[in-house]
Amino acid sequence: MRSALAVALALLCFALIGPLIAPHDPTAIDIPNRLSPPSAERWLGTDALGRDILSRLLHGARWSLGLAFLVSILGLCIGTVAGLVAAQGGKPVDWAVMRVTDIFLAFPEIVAAVVIAGVLGAGTGSLIFALTVTGWMRYARVARGIGLSLRSRGYVVQAQLAGLSSLAIARWHYLPSLLPSLMVVWTGMFARAILGISALGFLGFGVQPPMPEWGTMLLDARIHMRSTPLQMIWPGLAVVICVLAINLSGDALRDALTKEDAPQ
Amino acid sequence: MIRVVRGLLLRAAVVLTGTAVATFALLWHAPGDPALAIAIARYDAVVPAEVIDQIRAEAGLDAGFWPAFKAWIMPLLTGDFGQSSVTGRPVWPEVTTALSYTAPLALMGLLVGILISVPLAVLAAQRPGGWLDRCAVALASIGAAIPAYWLGLLLVLLFAVQLGWLPAMGARTPAHSILPALTLGLGVAASLTRILRSGLLEAREQPFLPAFRRRGVSHRAIERDHVAPHAAIPVVTIFGLELAFLLEGAVMVEVIFARPGLGSFLINAIEARDFPKVQAVVILTALLFVTVNLLIDLIYRALDPRIGAQDA
Repeated sequence: MRSALAVALALLCFALIGPLIAPHDPTAIDIPNRLSPPSAERWLGTDALGRDILSRLLHGARWSLGLAFLVSILGLCIGTVAGLVAAQGGKPVDWAVMRVTDIFLAFPEIVAAVVIAGVLGAGTGSLIFALTVTGWMRYARVARGIGLSLRSRGYVVQAQLAGLSSLAIARWHYLPSLLPSLMVVWTGMFARAILGISALGFLGFGVQPPMPEWGTMLLDARIHMRSTPLQMIWPGLAVVICVLAINLSGDALRDALTKEDAPQ
Repeated sequence: MIRVVRGLLLRAAVVLTGTAVATFALLWHAPGDPALAIAIARYDAVVPAEVIDQIRAEAGLDAGFWPAFKAWIMPLLTGDFGQSSVTGRPVWPEVTTALSYTAPLALMGLLVGILISVPLAVLAAQRPGGWLDRCAVALASIGAAIPAYWLGLLLVLLFAVQLGWLPAMGARTPAHSILPALTLGLGVAASLTRILRSGLLEAREQPFLPAFRRRGVSHRAIERDHVAPHAAIPVVTIFGLELAFLLEGAVMVEVIFARPGLGSFLINAIEARDFPKVQAVVILTALLFVTVNLLIDLIYRALDPRIGAQDA
């Protein structure tokens, strides 16, 4: 499991330095050398416009992983606030917040994201909006659940009696207990966001060309499946490795946390 | 029990109303002039401003948000989904046609998933930590990480392009459904194996099982009467999630395999900015979801009496 964590961290580093080590310009068009097979000059070959696939993959990591990171962090913030408001606000507020989460959960996330991103028009902005709006509910449920269980604890009640504001209680008493569980949820949502971004890219609603993004690359490669099947393998493989590494890291994190809790 | 059902129904009604308002608000605030979009879709040419104004009045777009919402939701309550803003034809028959392609595909996917995951999970749980168990867990983890669209493309590449065994595009013959169903089914199998396996292992840990064993109850009777029902509880909940997966997967699979169905219907409607169609798909999906979750809640309570006591 430690190796999964190592792979996940290595991939994140790749996303950061990828553009620096990419051998070619990811958007440079070179028609005479289009759809060329892997060679010493171009390790993974070129796509239909003669662009270097390895360079596009490396640059694409910044889009695919970077946007997924952003989206999952935005969801974490919104969901945690919503969950804590529900836990601290009393019964009517709790009911209202939970019904709002139900509304957003009443839908397969990707389908909702497709509708939102498609209706708002293709572009990075609507992509981020669509995936954030459909990705905060799990955090809210977890934050609310733990918040409710903490509410009657002695130190929280004492803090309330001492006149601490709800905000201060949330910051000093709820958040530290919430963070480990939220981290586990976050790994899962990060992985889902990677899948979501590439799915929307594949449907044409995501990151727009000529920007290299793994889903969009797959969409381009699909047309030339018969002549250059290998071209289709790389972006998909990149998605699978990232999602697998992040999911396994999440599992390891969860196991470590449950072990820590066990002796109590 | 009646109180619980009433609470659940109220919750479902609130969720559906909220979905309707949220969807309508999204489409209302969509960039661009919807009347202009309709005009372009209908006449495929530059149209004079009067015609656009006429379309706007016709579609009830000039009245403001709430009147327009009312004009959409009131007929909907009697089952009238309105007309396509592009072709002017009623939406409902087209939706049912699309559904008649997607529903069998989803069922086949589910069936493939169950046929793979149940034997795999049962075999894996026989000897936790054995090589079969490790293989099953590894396959399930990899399966959960593979996006449906890439898996579909790989299957096309192998079985249609390289081997030439199966047709890939369209939905003309039953053979055309094999690869799409397999794509969906493998995804379902990955998550179902994982959950079924941990459910079985957890059920085997139950403290009352050694007591039965000491009383001389046979291994088979214990497995059938005590382990299986326990493992069934998480499986029931997971069907709600599988439904989400099947719907998401169907959208992708229909695009990859150029199949008609709800997914391609939705994508085409979004691209044509045919909002009545988009609304119809969204509302139907939400209705399906809410209904299934309601049923799951009820089954869950029936299977495990402890749940009802907590949050009546």
